[in-house]
Amino acid sequence: MKDIEWAKINKDVLASLESPRPLFWVVIAVCFTLVLAGVAAEAYQYNYGLGTALMNRPHYWQLYISNFVFWIGMSHSGTLLSAILLLTKADWRKPIYRFAEAMTLFSILTAAIFPVIHLGRVWDMYWVLPYPNERTIWPNFRSPLLWDAAAITTYATSSALFLYVGMIPDLAICRDNAKGWRKKLYTAMSLGWMGRATEWVAFRKTYVLLACFLVPLAVSVHSIVASDFAMSMVPDWHITSFPPYFVAGALYSGCAAIITLFVMLRYLFRFEAYMTTEIMDKTVKLTFAIAMVWNFLNLGEYAAIWYSNDMFEKEVLIQKFIGPYAPVVWGMLLCATVAPFAMAFEKFRHNMWAMFWLSLVLQLGMWLERFQIVSPPLASNHMPWTWAVVWPGTIQMTLTVASFGWFTMLFLIFCKIFPSVSMYEVKEMVFHRRIASSRDEMEDISKIKDEVMQTEVGLK
Amino acid sequence: MRKKKHLLFATYADFDNARDAVTELKVLDLKEMAVEHIELYSPIEHPEVEEILGHFHQPIQRFTLFGALTGTLCSFLLVAAAAQSMFTVQPQGGKPVIPLPMDIVIMYEGTILFGVLSTLAAFMIYSGLPRRMTKHYNPKVSEDHIAIEVEVKPEHIEHVRQALQNCGPLEIREVTE
Repeated sequence: MKDIEWAKINKDVLASLESPRPLFWVVIAVCFTLVLAGVAAEAYQYNYGLGTALMNRPHYWQLYISNFVFWIGMSHSGTLLSAILLLTKADWRKPIYRFAEAMTLFSILTAAIFPVIHLGRVWDMYWVLPYPNERTIWPNFRSPLLWDAAAITTYATSSALFLYVGMIPDLAICRDNAKGWRKKLYTAMSLGWMGRATEWVAFRKTYVLLACFLVPLAVSVHSIVASDFAMSMVPDWHITSFPPYFVAGALYSGCAAIITLFVMLRYLFRFEAYMTTEIMDKTVKLTFAIAMVWNFLNLGEYAAIWYSNDMFEKEVLIQKFIGPYAPVVWGMLLCATVAPFAMAFEKFRHNMWAMFWLSLVLQLGMWLERFQIVSPPLASNHMPWTWAVVWPGTIQMTLTVASFGWFTMLFLIFCKIFPSVSMYEVKEMVFHRRIASSRDEMEDISKIKDEVMQTEVGLK
Repeated sequence: MRKKKHLLFATYADFDNARDAVTELKVLDLKEMAVEHIELYSPIEHPEVEEILGHFHQPIQRFTLFGALTGTLCSFLLVAAAAQSMFTVQPQGGKPVIPLPMDIVIMYEGTILFGVLSTLAAFMIYSGLPRRMTKHYNPKVSEDHIAIEVEVKPEHIEHVRQALQNCGPLEIREVTE
């Protein structure tokens, strides 16, 4: 990548805003159709009540909450990995971090829809806001659900600002090359950035400070989501290791999503020169490592339940493997525990389309994982007279599928309007690699010189 | 009436030439006090820029610290006031009125939210954004050129121009603001 000219980087990325492949429009159309189906399903549920979603005792939480956890999890890798890799100065993040951060933002926006849908009475959503009702009763800040509201609002705000701040120099490039409505939009959003040294110094300090905040924030958000479960008394939810288990799972599904979007953007926007096999290889290795951490925590959880010998916990565990939800649990183990071993093979890692399909399998595994966290424990809880197996109905499934359409549509619209590859950071990467390469060449030349000198001295 | 500024805006093809030009300007300034202010424009961040232009006083981290502490305090006041208010209408039995362990979660989020917002405010203040674009801005700077903007006294314009010229600029423009 060190040989790409800076002007070409601008040209290639700006071209992606104007002319993606025709498949882009097909994907947008499919996603829009899914969103329409979701709107219809929600309208139906709104009119006839939450019963149409087949949520009933003891399944007060089901697919909507599974989806909420899944999308919050998906949001983790983008900002968290971007921030960690920025702080550790890993330059391979540069061509891919922008879309990963955008993925974070749109995952949160998708996740935020589900508690509202799950509430049934969507008009009462404002009750989570911190202000008292007419009887001076405030929202209960002792509840993890309120912690969720605070954490997710903070995460969404901070991630959006992190994405925006990182994009300002690129918006200035867009401004300098755009016409019409795009020119007006980029002019307003670039805030008059001109690349002055004062701006760059302030920018770098700010960006690093924001990254420092985002790393612990991302970990806290999913730990709090885990607390929604772990703070309850439901068997198989009341587990100390849930927060790290959730964080590892979030990173895992997020990394898998990064791989999916990597291949998709590479093809749709012709980013072959920037999203290289080398970067894919590193991303996949990271995903594999995180997959192994998640597997360790998952198996550790089974072992802890088994050795605790708690009757209810053990019953839920046994029911998970041989009960009515067994296909979900075995499916999860197949997709999220067995399938990732394919990533150990270099040939597989370097095949973009193989990785695309594998990443979808991993995400399916992680989605099943969220479902098996939420539903089976409710089906065999502490009160055997309430035991019942309930599967999600058409409304829940439609809204679930629609959420994928909603996310992909928002993400692709973002990539069509804003540069999904960071131009200035790729330029920095090219610049530093070029310097490093010429330094190596100079060192080689001086070594050869020394050897020649020594030989000459020896001959004399 | 505002005093007119006299600027020279030179564009270079690479950073090394621009760095040489800044060095020449510094030497000239030591001899003749000719230069009032130098600004460097570049498409990427050059960490060496502080070595050649001098240290930029931008204590953004102080804003961050202040914002974060304010966030901790404000969120504690919010949850404590809410808990106290709840206590007056819903007695909590033997439980503490203001329970610290669970308040820590909200305080943590408040710390980060206010810290992030104050960092952003500091960024706006120290980078001078948002601002109007200067008329002499060269869009090639956002592509692959480096530019130097020098504020000079009118009587020294020719000396400064010569110093900039010595380092092989692509273009030098004289601007009065």
